[in-house]
Amino acid sequence: MAEIVPKFSSSVKLKYVKLGYQYLVNHIFTFFLIPIMLGVLLEVLRLGPEEILLFWNSLYFDLVQVLCSSFLLIIIATVYFMSKARSIYLVDFSCCKPPVTCRVPFSKFMEHSRLIHKGNTKSIDFQMRILERSGLGEETCVPPAMHYIPPTPTTGAARDEAEAVIFSAIDSLMEKTGIRPKNIDILIVNCSVFSPTPSLSAMVVNKYKLRSNIKSFNLSGMGCSAGLISIDLARDLLQVHHNSYALVISTEILTSPNYYKGSERAMLLPNCLFRMGAAAILLSNKWRDSARAKYKLLHVVRTHKGADDKAYRCVYEQEDNEGKVGINLSKDLMVIAGEALKSNITTIGPLVLPASEQLLFLFTLIGRKMFNPKWKPYIPDFKQAFEHFCIHAGGRAVIDELQKNLQLSAEHVEASRMTLHRFGNTSSSSLWYEMSYIEAKGRMKKGDRVWQIAFGSGFKCNSAVWKCNRTIKTPTDGPWQDCIDRYPVHIPEIVKL
Amino acid sequence: MVVSSPAMAADGLVYNIKISSVGPANVTGSDLIYEPETMGLAMKLHYIRGIYYFGSQAFEGLSTLVIKEPMFTWLNKYPQVCGRFRRTETGRAYLKCNDCGVRFVEAKCDKTLDEWLEMKDATLEKLLVRDQALGPELGFSPLVYIQLTKFKCGGTAVGLSWSHVLGDAFSAAEFMNMLGRAVAGYDLGQPTSLAHSRTKVTTPNGPEKVGDDPLSIKRVGPVGDHWVNVTKCKMEAFSFNVTPTQLSHLQSKLSPNGTQFGAFEALSAVIWQCIAKIREWDSNVVTICKGSEESKTCDGTLSNSQVVSVVNANFQILDSNPSELALLVQNGALDEREKIEEAMERDGGLPDFIVYGAKLTFVNLEDARFYAFEYRGQRPVNISYRIEGVGEEGTILVLPGPKGDDGGRSVMAILPENEIEELKLELKREGLMA
Repeated sequence: MAEIVPKFSSSVKLKYVKLGYQYLVNHIFTFFLIPIMLGVLLEVLRLGPEEILLFWNSLYFDLVQVLCSSFLLIIIATVYFMSKARSIYLVDFSCCKPPVTCRVPFSKFMEHSRLIHKGNTKSIDFQMRILERSGLGEETCVPPAMHYIPPTPTTGAARDEAEAVIFSAIDSLMEKTGIRPKNIDILIVNCSVFSPTPSLSAMVVNKYKLRSNIKSFNLSGMGCSAGLISIDLARDLLQVHHNSYALVISTEILTSPNYYKGSERAMLLPNCLFRMGAAAILLSNKWRDSARAKYKLLHVVRTHKGADDKAYRCVYEQEDNEGKVGINLSKDLMVIAGEALKSNITTIGPLVLPASEQLLFLFTLIGRKMFNPKWKPYIPDFKQAFEHFCIHAGGRAVIDELQKNLQLSAEHVEASRMTLHRFGNTSSSSLWYEMSYIEAKGRMKKGDRVWQIAFGSGFKCNSAVWKCNRTIKTPTDGPWQDCIDRYPVHIPEIVKL
Repeated sequence: MVVSSPAMAADGLVYNIKISSVGPANVTGSDLIYEPETMGLAMKLHYIRGIYYFGSQAFEGLSTLVIKEPMFTWLNKYPQVCGRFRRTETGRAYLKCNDCGVRFVEAKCDKTLDEWLEMKDATLEKLLVRDQALGPELGFSPLVYIQLTKFKCGGTAVGLSWSHVLGDAFSAAEFMNMLGRAVAGYDLGQPTSLAHSRTKVTTPNGPEKVGDDPLSIKRVGPVGDHWVNVTKCKMEAFSFNVTPTQLSHLQSKLSPNGTQFGAFEALSAVIWQCIAKIREWDSNVVTICKGSEESKTCDGTLSNSQVVSVVNANFQILDSNPSELALLVQNGALDEREKIEEAMERDGGLPDFIVYGAKLTFVNLEDARFYAFEYRGQRPVNISYRIEGVGEEGTILVLPGPKGDDGGRSVMAILPENEIEELKLELKREGLMA
């Protein structure tokens, strides 16, 4: 049956059948309740008003019974409210817009590359080919130290970059939310490559004079998916510490003394795609933020494929043949990403998918196991679970692959593609630029569910599900403020340089 | 490509060189191209080197990032300056405005500004401005370099390396003045129009009238994609100032019967005669370059619209009265611009010419607004302009006098190195040099 189903799926008739099935299964309780209510109503009408009064007077209210029942109700309610997980709200978030002085057009990137990799035509051509097909635009930014020929990535310059992007994001977040530094209870900073002493979280504490009993954390080395790891950590902490604010900073600092200076192609790839960016997110578990918060955190699902050797070595920092340090991206990256995604989906599916999709998946699963293993596995339609998708803008290939696997339309991946075009791959903060895009376009309505998916070294695939708490009105302030009207743009397959 | 002079490394006088790029803030898009004017193509083997010396107040306390910031808005106005050359199928060169930008060089010098200016060494000035030329990789050669050299006292030298194909010295001066305006926060207006001020001379249909080449040019090359003029002998430069007293003395000497000559005409005449004395051959034909109405616009348009004319003395230079030469320079110049453009267009914009130094050339830059470059309210205390890629006959530039010495002039002479000492003696004899 499953073989015939894909053929018929394109026919309109089956589409309506499927719709009907979905309505039936998803609202099954309503369908059961309605006949029962009708039955009761008919019975009441049949009995007539006097009989109802007689029935009411015959009920015997014993004081003890009443008290015990009400106490029981109160105890049950209390236990329920105490054991329920605290709601975590995203009050607001803010992304750093790098200054225009850091802009690196393609022509400049290529010209500098030629001068830096003098004589190494293979590396230069490779970088040009990558750039042409990358999906990046002409406005992406690279930190000031990397504009030099050759780049001058000192630790001091790295700190300067960190201060510039992180403080810019935090300042704008404080302005938007009105929060005062001394009210921040939890601080989490994630930056994979640059990890100085004292940490970047200490840098934030120092700059904003945060409280001395602040719970600060600094996550490094966790790759592009560290942003959602930070959110997960903040959520767990907010379960323990009530009435608190958590500030999460996600960034990647490109100025690094470990910037790859060699000519190994697999290690040059990150240089072509990674760009400057940072995001600051304010989370809260305070009851009074439930009205003003933008989003509510529903789920965070983390999948780690590190137990598999191939996945572990997929994104690996090592020395090349000449002893120069860089991050090696293996050729199996897309395959491993696909498998990690499948794992993640398998876990998140039951949490978010409507009953109709889950049943279909269950039926095809049973069918494959018991009847015919050749049946195609049913890919649940995640478009029914979410209104918006934020796929980590790791590269054009990643977005293409996910669009294919999840059967998403061009509009669903628009936020990801446009973020890649305007800001490049900003690593862990790219998800927030994408959220910002959706908000700036005025598409975020109350009740909309957003799925953020991030991939990172390890190999990890992390997801977060948010529910929009209030409709976001345009125009929004943020990194897209001055250019949102130009988007979406058509991104050609190959840009002629 | 960058040719680093050996003197730079050997002396260590100017050190801590850091190179980066500065481009326009706005995205120009992928379709904008600029076709250089015919005159620009004729001048493509020449490069202008300008140095502006500022006292310590101008750049005091400014970090590199702060200095670079207004340059991005400034370069919005000049998409062609930030572009790179490409060639059409016929081989004609055009600029693709791809936002690649200008090269920005930072350097340090352990001398104070005053010590440097005391040295009065025009050859050392090469350390303050990059020796840039276009090619051999034409598509990756920046057209403009800006070098900022910080002296020990806090004074700064701003060195401009400018490709003449973009515009003449008047345009280069206005280009820098616009930077001053950007720093002061003025709105610079729309990007400069890439249309040409002079209509392009097209070859007439029918049998081509192959006339003689204009006198003011010399065919060289073919240079291919490396736009440098190779001379048989090494060209050196030296400069000297002419005080107002010296100048008025000279002018009165030249015009006993009352006809007044301008400073340029007077200086040209005298120097022409001096050079004729030290040369074995007759320099009867000289080229005169001076600004035209178009070249003096202040709206930021870049063009090669200076007047290029020739003067033909049909008498013996050595025996003549300098006032006759001055009169000739003043009245007898024949505008050759159309002829130059025809000669270039006849071959589709492909031939390689030199103009400066094809014949002994005198360039009148008295009116060029070099001193109008104001950085944070400070004007330069001194400027120095020269031309690179000059032919063997040499070039003399007459520049405005040092600030505070209004009425005087500064003269930059670019000649074969073996003529320099002799000319200096002659000039001393004439009372122009101390």
